[in-house]
Amino acid sequence: MNEFEIDKKEVRRAFSKAAHTYDAAAVVQREVCIRMLEKLDVIKLQPARVLDVGSGTGWGTRQLGERYPRADIVALDIALGMLQAARGTSSWWQKLFSGNRQRFICADVEALPLAVQSVDMVWSSLAVQWCNDLPATFAGLHRIIRNDGLLLFSTFGPDTLSELRSAFSGVDGYNHISRFADMHDIGDMLVAAGFADPVMEMEKITLTYADVKAVMQDLRDIGAHNATSGRAPGMLGKAKWARIVQNYEALRRDGRLPATFEIIYGHAWRVPPKLTADGRSIVKANFKL
Amino acid sequence: MDPKLLEILVCPLCKSPLVYRKAEQELVCKADKLAYAIKDGIPVMLADEARKLNDEEIAKL
Repeated sequence: MNEFEIDKKEVRRAFSKAAHTYDAAAVVQREVCIRMLEKLDVIKLQPARVLDVGSGTGWGTRQLGERYPRADIVALDIALGMLQAARGTSSWWQKLFSGNRQRFICADVEALPLAVQSVDMVWSSLAVQWCNDLPATFAGLHRIIRNDGLLLFSTFGPDTLSELRSAFSGVDGYNHISRFADMHDIGDMLVAAGFADPVMEMEKITLTYADVKAVMQDLRDIGAHNATSGRAPGMLGKAKWARIVQNYEALRRDGRLPATFEIIYGHAWRVPPKLTADGRSIVKANFKL
Repeated sequence: MDPKLLEILVCPLCKSPLVYRKAEQELVCKADKLAYAIKDGIPVMLADEARKLNDEEIAKL
């Protein structure tokens, strides 16, 4: 395991623990979900089955259920606690009118337990940043999406939490923030995985906080504090913490501390293969007999 | 266990179909000799949480 590798057990533990506080703290998550839903406005696909990868508390899953009232919506998350919380928050009328259309699977997106071409659309909001092998993750998603099906996702870009990163730099030798892939690299990974016509976009969302403790608390509440293997094994010492606070305080503007999130949005289509596995081209001809 | 979910679930490791053991509330992969628990109606499809099966149990399936 290299020092930047994500410790999946830690991710699962952190998110299961955060299941009840997550919705209050996850302003960014909700904002990103809303923008992804806007992207769906111009996409004509009417999916019969939608998979929500990294469904969290299920807020996005419920929006998808309303958007596609006739589709089966499957929520997938690595944290069982999140799925149980998601199931609990559907109101009685949602359960009544959804006709049991919401289904739940506890699984890792890097080892998907789904059959080949079994879903029409994969939706994934701020989840794949937890993957250790992003190219393999996209290949896995490509496998389960039907021909002419869609992958729509968002993830964090490399400039996410740049303020916190710089506040921590030089304080000790440990990683305090997970590292994220660049938008252009992600586009290339999608093509390498077999997806067609990838569209990538990026935006920055800045939240402001009263103090450094509040920044850290929010990260903990969304379960997004550092889970890489090179994280510091215990608590930070008082002296180190004081230096971090001092570094971060230098960024204070109009009485508030900024925390920037770089959001990457992407979508791409699964198209029928133009080449066979051994490299011969497939030419379709419409014969009438 | 939801039949519509059963239709699309496979082993997360080898992607082969699973055997549903209703009484035990488990989904079994014969190839990997693993039993994935269904907790509270939610299948837990994580290999490191799955129960390892011995040859005797596999033979009975």
